[in-house]
Amino acid sequence: MNRIRRNVILLAAVSAAVLGFALPVSAQRIRVITTTPELADMTKQIGKEWVEVESLTKGVEFMHAVPVRPSFVPKLNRADILVENGLDLEVSWLPALLEVANNSKILPGQPGQIDCSVGISVLDTARIVDRSEGDVHPKGNPHYGLDPLNGKTMARNIAAGLSRNYPQHRAVFEKNLNAYLAELDKAINRWQTMAAPLKDVKIVTYHQDWSYFANRFGLHQIGTIELKPGIEPTPNHLVSLVQKMQQEKAGVIIYGPQSDRYPRQLASQTGASVVRLQSTAGALSETDTYIKFIDYNLRSLLAAVKKS
Amino acid sequence: MVLSLRGPRSLAAWFIVAMFVSPKMSLAQNSEIESIRAVVKNLEQQLQKALQRIDQLEKEKATSSTKIDQVEKSIRASQSAPSALNPAIGLVIDATAEHRDKAGGDFNFRAAELGISASIDPYARAYAFFTGSRDEFEVEEAAMVTTSLPWNLQLRGGRFFADFGRLAKFHPHEYAFVNTPLSLERIVGGESKADGVELSYLFPTPFFLRATAGGYNKLGAENERLDDTKSRAWSRFTYLGRLHTYFDLADNHSIELGTSLAYTPSIRIPEEPHGGSRTLTGLDVTYRYQPLGSTLYQGFTLGGELFGNSERVERESGLRRMFAPGGYVYGEAKINREWAAGFLYDNAPSLASPGKKTIGYSPFITWYLSEFNRLRFQYSYLDDKVREERSERGHQFFLQWTTVLGSHTHGFRTR
Repeated sequence: MNRIRRNVILLAAVSAAVLGFALPVSAQRIRVITTTPELADMTKQIGKEWVEVESLTKGVEFMHAVPVRPSFVPKLNRADILVENGLDLEVSWLPALLEVANNSKILPGQPGQIDCSVGISVLDTARIVDRSEGDVHPKGNPHYGLDPLNGKTMARNIAAGLSRNYPQHRAVFEKNLNAYLAELDKAINRWQTMAAPLKDVKIVTYHQDWSYFANRFGLHQIGTIELKPGIEPTPNHLVSLVQKMQQEKAGVIIYGPQSDRYPRQLASQTGASVVRLQSTAGALSETDTYIKFIDYNLRSLLAAVKKS
Repeated sequence: MVLSLRGPRSLAAWFIVAMFVSPKMSLAQNSEIESIRAVVKNLEQQLQKALQRIDQLEKEKATSSTKIDQVEKSIRASQSAPSALNPAIGLVIDATAEHRDKAGGDFNFRAAELGISASIDPYARAYAFFTGSRDEFEVEEAAMVTTSLPWNLQLRGGRFFADFGRLAKFHPHEYAFVNTPLSLERIVGGESKADGVELSYLFPTPFFLRATAGGYNKLGAENERLDDTKSRAWSRFTYLGRLHTYFDLADNHSIELGTSLAYTPSIRIPEEPHGGSRTLTGLDVTYRYQPLGSTLYQGFTLGGELFGNSERVERESGLRRMFAPGGYVYGEAKINREWAAGFLYDNAPSLASPGKKTIGYSPFITWYLSEFNRLRFQYSYLDDKVREERSERGHQFFLQWTTVLGSHTHGFRTR
């Protein structure tokens, strides 16, 4: 009796092991790692059942200071595709991880690395590429995803990248892309109408990451809290910023994953309203997709403008 | 307008207008109309010629501007080609103003470290660090690393900081504090500088697990036990094994563990004929609190390493195997975006008489003016029972200024 039981247990264990290997459908899926949650959302929309997607960041991080976590290494090691924002947004942490990930498929320039910035009209290209200008991005402002029209380019880049690597699924990716673009177009039309009160509103941002958003919705950015990109403000800079805000009647101060200390201080001196917006998707349940993330930012900003 | 005056319809229009406006049109007026017609015809011909000329000029302009574009492109290409493939270059300058109780003051030009790195080809990359200090100029590292070996393997060769422990792979300007812990300096020999070859394997586990095996002439920048410049028996090389893992305990908490062993079968060199095998062991633990939403402003690192050196030492009573344990532990907290402060405890034995130790206590505070410009103040008190070096005793004060020019990354190892 014991022997039978032992055999049954053995059989069950063997079957479990075999099934364990055979079961995961994920084994056939394309393993995609993205650097941000919005890229993960778009990849899911385009790859649907063919992809298994994970974002390395969660949307709460300051993208220029993401900790280089070794737990990212096995993920990158097993990835078939890496989708990145590009324009050096990930330059402070991704190259160090790729150094040890032992995955030549997803290194820069390889077909497995999809750079979503291809074809973007880049803003804020540095006039002087020199660190006296702060932590400048020689390739220009990398926060282009905040303009939903650029979202369309990002989605197209992802679909093109997936098709380049998996031409057998091209038709599916294209169909999914078109469906997604249609959905995005609908949202963009809605946002254009919604954003009417934002036209010509003057804003101050903490970091120079809202240029694309401002450009799309007609906002005027009159200054940043940071002295230069990545450099905290000096007292003199804050004084002149307050004067400028008063002269130009700046109504809103936008900040992101930075401390709210300076935004609040400026607000108390100028009467402008302060709003925390999301630089990437994923941090909140209301921002878990790209469309919801743009929607959230727009609604939050509209509320702040109304208050100002 | 010119053409409209010439067609049969226009003639009819002229005629009708003439009938109404001037019913009694004379012959002289008729001839005037004829002359106007001739003028118009002449104008039309001239216009036609002008249009042809414009066409021709436009075509010429297009071809010439294409040519100019091509020439400009080739000039740009030839201008940029020699430098476009240059490696990334960076320079770190590290200097201190110091005061040591037993040695006095000093402006210490610690290092100017020139770093370069680039891909070699689709199969490998390379990097090098040349360091000049007030005593010497040396190649600290110059290594080739593979980028596309199969089976999760990575091979590194040349001169580099061997994969022993954690802090031994840092260039001193990358520490959270000013000086190399004495325990690391005495037991490992400072940085784990080594000439040799190293093979790493990344385990296909869901968590990070990496193993390294290496063989080197010797290990340790200040290690005087072995001669780095001569051929010798394979038993006089140093062989290394390391296992390194990391776990996210939660979103904001992580722990990193590593264990290393460096074995030299025989450290005999002509000046020390009685040496035997040497075993160097290390255990490194790093805990990090990195609140993802505010890494710019908050964070805490608690890092420590235990080292053990086991080698034969000559005594009056004969050769004896000595085990010298030591280590350091430090904590550093980020106060805000610009300030961080911490404390280093250091326990460094004498390798020759492990009972005697130097214990160091060093609080430090750092001001990051920017990511690339840093000032640090450190006070150290060294309780020295070893008495090897006079300067390693008593109260010490350091003001350190470190800056980075150009590209600067030491990569994954010095996260």
